[in-house]
Amino acid sequence: MSGLYGTLNLGTRALQTQSKGLSVAGQNLANVNNPAYSRQRLVVQTSFTLPSTLGPQGTGVSAIAIQRIHDSLLDRQIQSEVSSSGYWSAQQNALRQAQTGLGEALGSTTSGADGTTATAGISSLASLGNDLSGLFAEFQNLAATPGSITQRSALLARARNLTDQFHRTDERLSQVGASLDQSVRSDLTEANDLLASVAKLNEQIRRSETATGGTANDLRDRRQEKIEALARLTSVDSFEDTDGQFSLSVGGEVLVSGKQVVATLSAQDDGNGGLQIRTSTGNPVALSGGSIQGTLEVRGGALATLRGDLDRLAGTLATEVNALHRNGFNLSGGTGADFFTGTTAAGLQVNAQLLSNPSLIQASGTAGAAGDNQTALALARLGNQSLASLGGQTLSEAYSQTVTSLGQTLANADTQVEDQQLVGNLLLGKRNATSGVSIDEEMADLVKYQKAFQASAKIVSIVDQMLDEVIGLKR
Amino acid sequence: MRVPSNAFPTSLVQQLNTLNNRQNRLQSQAATGQKLQWAADDPAAMQRALDLQQASRTNTQYGKNISFLQERTTATVSSVRSLNTLLDRANEIAILADDTKSPDQLRHYATEIDQLIRQAVQTGNSRHRDEYLFAGTRSDQPPFVLGEDADGNVQTVTYQGNSDVAELEVARNSTVSLQVPGTNTSGTGAPGLFGDSRSGSDVFAHLISLRQHLTAGDTKAIATVDRPALSNDEDQVLFRLAEVGASQARLESASTTNANLNTQFRESLSEVTDADLAQTLVELSATQTAYRAALQSGANLLGVSLMDYLR
Repeated sequence: MSGLYGTLNLGTRALQTQSKGLSVAGQNLANVNNPAYSRQRLVVQTSFTLPSTLGPQGTGVSAIAIQRIHDSLLDRQIQSEVSSSGYWSAQQNALRQAQTGLGEALGSTTSGADGTTATAGISSLASLGNDLSGLFAEFQNLAATPGSITQRSALLARARNLTDQFHRTDERLSQVGASLDQSVRSDLTEANDLLASVAKLNEQIRRSETATGGTANDLRDRRQEKIEALARLTSVDSFEDTDGQFSLSVGGEVLVSGKQVVATLSAQDDGNGGLQIRTSTGNPVALSGGSIQGTLEVRGGALATLRGDLDRLAGTLATEVNALHRNGFNLSGGTGADFFTGTTAAGLQVNAQLLSNPSLIQASGTAGAAGDNQTALALARLGNQSLASLGGQTLSEAYSQTVTSLGQTLANADTQVEDQQLVGNLLLGKRNATSGVSIDEEMADLVKYQKAFQASAKIVSIVDQMLDEVIGLKR
Repeated sequence: MRVPSNAFPTSLVQQLNTLNNRQNRLQSQAATGQKLQWAADDPAAMQRALDLQQASRTNTQYGKNISFLQERTTATVSSVRSLNTLLDRANEIAILADDTKSPDQLRHYATEIDQLIRQAVQTGNSRHRDEYLFAGTRSDQPPFVLGEDADGNVQTVTYQGNSDVAELEVARNSTVSLQVPGTNTSGTGAPGLFGDSRSGSDVFAHLISLRQHLTAGDTKAIATVDRPALSNDEDQVLFRLAEVGASQARLESASTTNANLNTQFRESLSEVTDADLAQTLVELSATQTAYRAALQSGANLLGVSLMDYLR
């Protein structure tokens, strides 16, 4: 049975459906600048049919769902890309800090009070390389006037510049290490917060979907956003269960299951000065991507190597200089003193006795000959000597290799970050093409729904007039 | 493919960012004239730049060593020259002092020789930058010490230096001596300027003997002993002068080589690190054009949507 009242109902339903469509378009437009938002679409179908003498007769339209348009395969790809871009960005950032800490940059300004480097046009700014060759230059000057106290004081000043530079560089690098630790810890705090958010969203999604049916589109968008934020910090595997809840696991360790955070992550001292990531249940976790792992790898890799190289350089310098210096004779014929003390970049010092009395520098090869410079000459030549303990390199070669191998690692990270950015942009663009809101489309939809609304309203008003006509028949 | 509304702004921002980065890099290259600053910019070039820098610094230091040695050699040459002049006069006196001279004249000559001895000691004790030139490596104390008799005549001149010679590098593995020993009686090493056991030269002993013979009026001994001895001494001094002259020439050529090397290092370093200004500026202006085009097209696209045409 349909009749005029049936048509009136049909009109009402149509009005409701069109206004729902309008509100979905409005929701889309409102979220046009929300990057985590997936556009939604109203799914409509013809409403139930009524039997009639003419066969089943339609009763108009009804809305059955608000669909979220997205591609879960792309979500997964983006998740893993985000992990590797987080990993490389963290490496790039950490390595940049290390490079700055090392401080070896070429600049057009000249350095060195004596202008030794001025002739080179381009010189290193205050750096170890500069101070290292400065020391050997002073050994040469000492060889020229081995008896001169002025010259000896100049040498000591230069040697102190060098040890200070070693200390400063080591200190800067250790600060870089500390700041990397800090960033790992703050990343972990953030990751744990995100785990909690995902668990909470799982619960909300389950609750709202079982209560009302359909899908909790906006909550799911928000959860995907949290998972991707987590993926930037650490590689994460996600599995959707039948309730639409996501389980998250990192390195094989389940961290979130349904509404529960099974375990959180923390950084522990591994006993060798390194950091190890463990779950709150005590299991070590092997991360395979994300910024935490990127930072950890630089901390335990490039940065540790760099500091080790500097220690080795300082140690070799001290050993080799001392071996020669010990056999020399000072101005009063004394012998056997060391030039440097300490064997690490942080511990290298000029022998304090020499500092207080420059005449104790053992420049001479024979006792009682102030003009003899054999030891000074040997020390000066050490600068150009290949040393077995440095793998057949000279001190300055070993240093420049340290600089360039760090540079190489950073250059590699730079390239990777660029590549990741391209891949990431491509994937995000693809997802955006599917899920992004288009104002034009929504405007067209608005017009569409508006017109349909007007048409449905027309039906109601015509039925109304017709009912008037029917009531008027009695008069 | 669908193009959602935020595709334009997103990609515009990315493109502008890329262009901005490039502009920034090119601008700083143009401003500093340098294409290499940090190792990560170009690790291989950085390695080369650091090695060249090191080589250049070492070479600069060799240059300083050379100027120091040149200074010292000049001081040495002038001392040796004055010793030569002095010996010239002593030889002259040895020749003049023959039978025809009266004992008074001979005594006058003796006084002159005494003065010459003192002058020679002074020459032997010449210094350069606080170091005695002719003391071997015991250069912190005067090498020659006068001993006088009661009348104030020079009796002995003792050498308290040694016969060792220190060397200084003028290039890698190439050295030049810093000193000339005053006296060398060891039979090995660098010959002494004032006396050497191998050639039998001994300026002071021979001058003192001449003076003694002059005082004694022993012209025969002067002719047979002192004249040949002093003439040998003078020859030896001339040899030393030639040697020092030769090392001056060596230093001169080392200095030229050094300067050439420095230029070469500077050029190589500039090749590795300097930006090609023409190329950089062309690239910069190309990037600026692209940047402007991106802004222009972006501004046009961003403002337009279907909304503009709906009433």
